[in-house]
Amino acid sequence: MSAREQILGKMEALEQVNHPGDFKGASEDFDFKAALEAVGARVLTAEALEIEFPGRRRYEKTMDGLSLAEVEVLEIDGEFGVAENGAIWLTEEAMPHRVAPFICQHLVINVSKIVPNMHAAYEELKKPSSSFGLFLAGPSKTADIEQSLVIGAHGARSLTVVIRA
Amino acid sequence: MSSHAEASEKFIADAERTDWHDETLWFVREKRDKAAMVLREWEALREHASQIKDHTLANLHQYLIAFEAKAQANGIHVHWAADAAEHNAIVHQIIAEQGSKVLVKSKSMLTEECHLNDYLAKKGIEVVDTDLGERIVQFRKEAPSHIVLPAIHLKKEDVGETFHQHLGTPKGNKDPQFLTEAARQHLRGHFLASEVAITGVNFAIAETGEFVVCTNEGNADMGAHLAKVHIACMGIEKIIPKREDLAVFLRLLARSATGQLITTYSSHFHKPREGQEMHIVLLDNGRTRQLADPKYKNSLKCIRCAACFNTCPVYRRSGGHSYHQPVAGPIGSILAPNIDKKANADLPFASTLCGSCSNVCPVKINIHEQLWFWRQDLMTAGLAPVGKTIGMKLMAFTLAHPAIYRIGGLLLRRFAPLLNSRLNPWYKQREMPVAPKESFQEWYKKR
Repeated sequence: MSAREQILGKMEALEQVNHPGDFKGASEDFDFKAALEAVGARVLTAEALEIEFPGRRRYEKTMDGLSLAEVEVLEIDGEFGVAENGAIWLTEEAMPHRVAPFICQHLVINVSKIVPNMHAAYEELKKPSSSFGLFLAGPSKTADIEQSLVIGAHGARSLTVVIRA
Repeated sequence: MSSHAEASEKFIADAERTDWHDETLWFVREKRDKAAMVLREWEALREHASQIKDHTLANLHQYLIAFEAKAQANGIHVHWAADAAEHNAIVHQIIAEQGSKVLVKSKSMLTEECHLNDYLAKKGIEVVDTDLGERIVQFRKEAPSHIVLPAIHLKKEDVGETFHQHLGTPKGNKDPQFLTEAARQHLRGHFLASEVAITGVNFAIAETGEFVVCTNEGNADMGAHLAKVHIACMGIEKIIPKREDLAVFLRLLARSATGQLITTYSSHFHKPREGQEMHIVLLDNGRTRQLADPKYKNSLKCIRCAACFNTCPVYRRSGGHSYHQPVAGPIGSILAPNIDKKANADLPFASTLCGSCSNVCPVKINIHEQLWFWRQDLMTAGLAPVGKTIGMKLMAFTLAHPAIYRIGGLLLRRFAPLLNSRLNPWYKQREMPVAPKESFQEWYKKR
């Protein structure tokens, strides 16, 4: 008997319990900018971005994964931000490569749409439209050495968010 | 292997370090409280998550089949493993087909449970753990002492010395920023060179066939997106029904674990990237046995946040290694006896049954009650420590025979050292009260 049959065979005839359905009554009064700062991101205006990162690279379809390791500042577009936790939903289609937001040294993300909380976020994402997507909240970080927070573990060392109208 | 009590004695021998460990974890617990309490719906969220998990476990059969079908349709290879040996053999087979000798792995307690690294090492394959805390303990040939904070038992001086030996950082440098940068440079080389990456799985969605991996460092993604082959290893209990359910779990997970609003990266792997090979290994290893037992079934609801570790007065003062299991703390103490009753018979006793674990659990597992159920089962099965068994039998006999109870009481009152001796584990590290001159009965008779 295969492992599959063995495992599935042991699980029949359990009592039925209903799914509770969608979560109701979630808070909506969150400030996206405050959440971004809480997760270690910086918020800049479009004008300030030009001054800060004049030499940044925009997303180009032709960039391959390994060459992205050489990119100092990469700019990509996020689909929407989540006000409760500062997370931004990114999809494979908006990046040159899946590894892009991780491997570049510094990351800039443009967002124009903001939803209040994670429930509203998954309302937008009921069906996967992309082969890979992620919520990204702030720069890469770790506190594995004595609980001291260090920004820039393996992924981008900084995250700058530009909220565009 | 020493029991939890014996290992704890060694841990607390360094009082200063014990206090530091205790306070550091309590600090994480307090961060959790702050993050939770700003959400007025926190308790409703816990209840909702608990119900989703109850529903999923009751329908796990159908959800596993649905997940498998969807994942396969997405181009992902799905493997089933009945136990650790099968799991390791499947993973090895995939790596052998690639011909890789070195690979990267992000945090996966399941691969610790299967002792995958040791198994692959014997086959001549080196596993590089890429989570910073895991890399530190791997260098030191230690196991993680905490499922979220693997190196929480170490001080920065220890890490500095370890990196000096293994990465050539200057001796005496213990700056976390500097040491993290050294690890970043060291591991970046491995990410760029590895053809195979192994990751764990936080959630697998039956409806879509995708899986979600959460990290703060970005190490799972750095490995998976650069490798030709991605192997994701998961226990069968990681399934959830729908994408929307993720909203509930992602809100609870990081807040419960570290007090963060959400982990930095919550990656949704739906299909392999172009030209990539993606595998999922579904492991049982005793989980179906646990599922069939109504007393212990809902321990499988665990989302591995470790909130129960951080709040536990015993864990904080005994350290993760005392539990001699990959998953320590209160949840580990109710999971481990299911895998090996005899080897883990000490763990359900490593608790004060204060119930704090159950109170912080984001999926409302009745952890402290299950610890108590295990104690009963282990006593009945004759697997409790000999001293405890004799002690309990002696106590039961004494309480059942009033004459002996009276004589025993008299003897102990007259000769207190009988009780305050090494024969009584409760006496250790405690100041016992002075025995009263007369018993309650004697006093009452005089009235």
